[in-house]
Amino acid sequence: MPRLLKTEREVEGRVEESWILVEEDALDQWPAGPLVTVGRPAARVDGRERARGEARYTADVRLPGMLHAAVVRSPHAYAVATRVDLERALAAPGVRAAIGPGDAPGLAAEAGHFGAPVAALAADTEAQARAALELVDVEWDVREPLLDPDEAVARGELHGKPRRHERGDVDAALAEADVVVEAEYRTQTLLHNALETHQAVCEWEGDRLTVYVSTQYIWEVRDQVADELGIPRDKVLVICRFMGGGFGAKNDPGDYTLVAAVLARRAGRPVRCALTRREENIGAGNRNATIQRLTAGARADGTLVALRGEYVCALGWDGWLPSTAGPMQMLYACENVETVEYGARLNTPPMAAFRAPGFVEGVWGLELLLDEVAAKLELDPLEVRMRNHADADPKDARPFSAKNLMECYRRAEPHWERRDDVRSRSDGPWRRGVGLATQIWFGSAAPPSYATVRLESSGRATVGTAMQDIGTGTRTAMAQIAAEELGFPLERVEVLVGDSSRGGYAVVSGGSSTTSTMGPAVRSAAADARRQLIEIAAQRFGVEEGILAVQDGKIVAAHGGSWPVEEVTRLLEHAQIVGKGACGPNPTGMRVLTFGVHVAEVAVDVETGEVRVERVYAVHDVGRIVNPLGASSQVEGGIIQGIGHTLSEQRLLDPSSGTVLTQTLDAYKLPTIADTPPEIVCEFVDRPDAHLTNLGSKGLGEPPIIPIAPAIANAIRDATGADVRSLPVTREEMLRALREAREREPVHTSQPV
Amino acid sequence: MSPFTLRSPSSLDEIGGVPLAGGTDLVPLVQDGLVEASELANIRELLPRGIDGDRIGAGTSLAEIERSPDVPDALREACRLAASPQLRAMGTVGGNLRQATRCWYWRLGFPCYLHGGERCHARDGEHREHAIFGNERCASAHPSDPAAALLALRARVGTTRRTLPLTDLYRLPTDDDRDVVTLERGELILWIEVERPDASAYLKAMDRQRFSFPLVGVAAARFGADVRLALAGVAPIPWLLGSPAELGDAKPLPGTAYKVELADALVRRALDAVATG
Repeated sequence: MPRLLKTEREVEGRVEESWILVEEDALDQWPAGPLVTVGRPAARVDGRERARGEARYTADVRLPGMLHAAVVRSPHAYAVATRVDLERALAAPGVRAAIGPGDAPGLAAEAGHFGAPVAALAADTEAQARAALELVDVEWDVREPLLDPDEAVARGELHGKPRRHERGDVDAALAEADVVVEAEYRTQTLLHNALETHQAVCEWEGDRLTVYVSTQYIWEVRDQVADELGIPRDKVLVICRFMGGGFGAKNDPGDYTLVAAVLARRAGRPVRCALTRREENIGAGNRNATIQRLTAGARADGTLVALRGEYVCALGWDGWLPSTAGPMQMLYACENVETVEYGARLNTPPMAAFRAPGFVEGVWGLELLLDEVAAKLELDPLEVRMRNHADADPKDARPFSAKNLMECYRRAEPHWERRDDVRSRSDGPWRRGVGLATQIWFGSAAPPSYATVRLESSGRATVGTAMQDIGTGTRTAMAQIAAEELGFPLERVEVLVGDSSRGGYAVVSGGSSTTSTMGPAVRSAAADARRQLIEIAAQRFGVEEGILAVQDGKIVAAHGGSWPVEEVTRLLEHAQIVGKGACGPNPTGMRVLTFGVHVAEVAVDVETGEVRVERVYAVHDVGRIVNPLGASSQVEGGIIQGIGHTLSEQRLLDPSSGTVLTQTLDAYKLPTIADTPPEIVCEFVDRPDAHLTNLGSKGLGEPPIIPIAPAIANAIRDATGADVRSLPVTREEMLRALREAREREPVHTSQPV
Repeated sequence: MSPFTLRSPSSLDEIGGVPLAGGTDLVPLVQDGLVEASELANIRELLPRGIDGDRIGAGTSLAEIERSPDVPDALREACRLAASPQLRAMGTVGGNLRQATRCWYWRLGFPCYLHGGERCHARDGEHREHAIFGNERCASAHPSDPAAALLALRARVGTTRRTLPLTDLYRLPTDDDRDVVTLERGELILWIEVERPDASAYLKAMDRQRFSFPLVGVAAARFGADVRLALAGVAPIPWLLGSPAELGDAKPLPGTAYKVELADALVRRALDAVATG
């Protein structure tokens, strides 16, 4: 029976309490450790389709009669379009429709950032559409852009109110501390640059709208598109069979989808609106830059007595304030903590969620600060972290549903202990060192979410969901969970995703919530189907249900009988077994978090500022691991993306006009395969969270990108004595830090010279 | 992008439009409207290609040079560290000498000095990738790795009209002429001749391990007791450095001061590398 419950929902670090209707979840968790299918490495069920180019992405969708849209964007960081004349553009060859400010959600006369969408048109070909952009006449009232985040804070130009957290008495604790460290840390603006750019194809059939879109959240696209267009939600069908990544920037329909829908309605033809790579780098969202002014006070033994942080988040024209102070508030047991976070509203392109928004930036500052405390006290950074371990949520003393961070530290120890050996391999200008950092993030379930499992006469199972696979291997993990519960071999399970008509509500592929939320729903649907299968088998073979089980695609009886599942399902003919399942609630009164540790080994050329990451050890505590192969691939991907964020990637603006300068991939420098460390060692605690759902699994998508940058920076300090505090650690930042270290301490002694 | 016609002339004498060889830089420039071309002439098959003694055909790809045991180390290494394998397979050495700056202001079509405008936007703007020499009017950085290597190797260039030292191919932009090369309209590079050094080297600092233009590239070639140094990524043109001490004459912008330090370290290493052998 469904129950109405009050639960905490958390997506990307934003927590809200809400009523939800959940199904009772009567299933006990499986025992820990590898099972028949779950917990064992499985190659991607759709790997072959993807590798052979057969998988159909949104970028591949070409409908008969489809038009191509192009968007008129502001050339100014702040301006108001006082006149938008579409006449000449409408008369251009191939142009079928054109819309201006107010005609579609997202198109506005007030352009608050360079590249803000103002008007759009659709033409027979993409070349015609782009050519016609030149013919849209716009008169601009150009205004002075606000580009400096500190100035925005001073002027009160903020998104929302400053967010404050205060506990204990920081000033008093700092006055009594044996050591106080104060420093300013910075992180840069980063661009997602998913392989598939943001895009949608919209097609109307009567009053029904089909949206093909590259999205992490087809359900939200359905609801938002319907609401924005003022049509019933059930009139919108959203399809995303395969997608080329999102990293958080594709959690909502975006202006391109709504522009395509409106143009399609006007033109009476399907319309494709696909961002170019340049548009992607201008207006498709970014990880906001931060300025972090942090203070830590500690006793001589390394115990933290006070933490204070002022966080200025350069959100841009639009966006939301991610929890950048979260790590300072939650990672270590510290009684006196004061944080304030500002969301600066600037004339820069909008912020969007990006793989662990807020915590990536917050852990950067906090974990560098902690190492600076350890250095001042001449303590081992790992010991300092263990000493300050929080046994309960330091914010509100809530117990953790499960926390194996100490186990992560213990597992990291042998890798941490390599540092004498690593340092001794310093050679000429190449100094080597080791650094570590702790990971903290969310990753609970985000109910509700629904799944079905259908058994047909062929003896195959089909998992039906309205979820999507962002590219992390969701299809495979869900197939493993269904196969395990059904007692079927993996290849007998098909998983349907990427179609809003294929199931009930399904959670966003974001906030590390997919496996933790959809997994329990799929398992409970499979359990329901298995139960029905056994009921039918018991009737067919005239035995008690209690003695029957399903193993490896066979119905087996406790007394030794065994029948292929098909012998029962064949009886069904056109009848089908449909199992239903839903994700149960999160444990009440408990904090569900994920943890981990990265240990990075680096080499720094102290004459040229070149930094090479030579080895990374990663251990994460995310509950039960469903697919160890997919999980390690997530960790490797997070580390590689994080290395780009640490060493080479930065979005640059012209400081006076606010124009995005890094629009192409020669200027915005993603890491290449040559930048990946020669060795990444990846481990999991792999212990189910006994309090969390019928699966005990937490999310893993975001955790691996969180600690890598501070682990690298701490390794740089270990290698060279230089404090890098600004991302990215380019040649100039590295050389600056080295110079500063030389000036501070003319003869650096911690390294053999 | 305006449409253009691609023609394949049968000889270099009949070229109508803009000559196209590898196209790795030209095609994006045409797409962005930075080179106006209603007609492109594919001369890839017409250009001398291959390495013959000290002479390298202008149509030789960077990949071919990189794999050739006959070219001096500095040039081979400069090619190996340039771009990506795909681009090196397409890009020709002749085209590489003429490739346009990566200055974002210039590439984005700002009305900058190099485009004929009044001022250099990079000087007051974002310029971490920009010049430390010859940057008074335009602070763009020349992106070619092979050009620096060839300068150090005392290369001579043969065109459809003349033979000239590579040093004379380049010029800083002036109020009267914003071009950075001295080629006349319709003049094509046909071959490049290098002198054989006793030792040579090319060292490159970039933002990532591969597939990035030089922040600083340093080429050194030793001919007997004489060592010639040339730098990439430090001036609007490939930069011949008379002596290591000339680094003291650099006039970096606030955001390019690190390049002097970088160049200093790489020059010392390059000198060490060519000191013997």
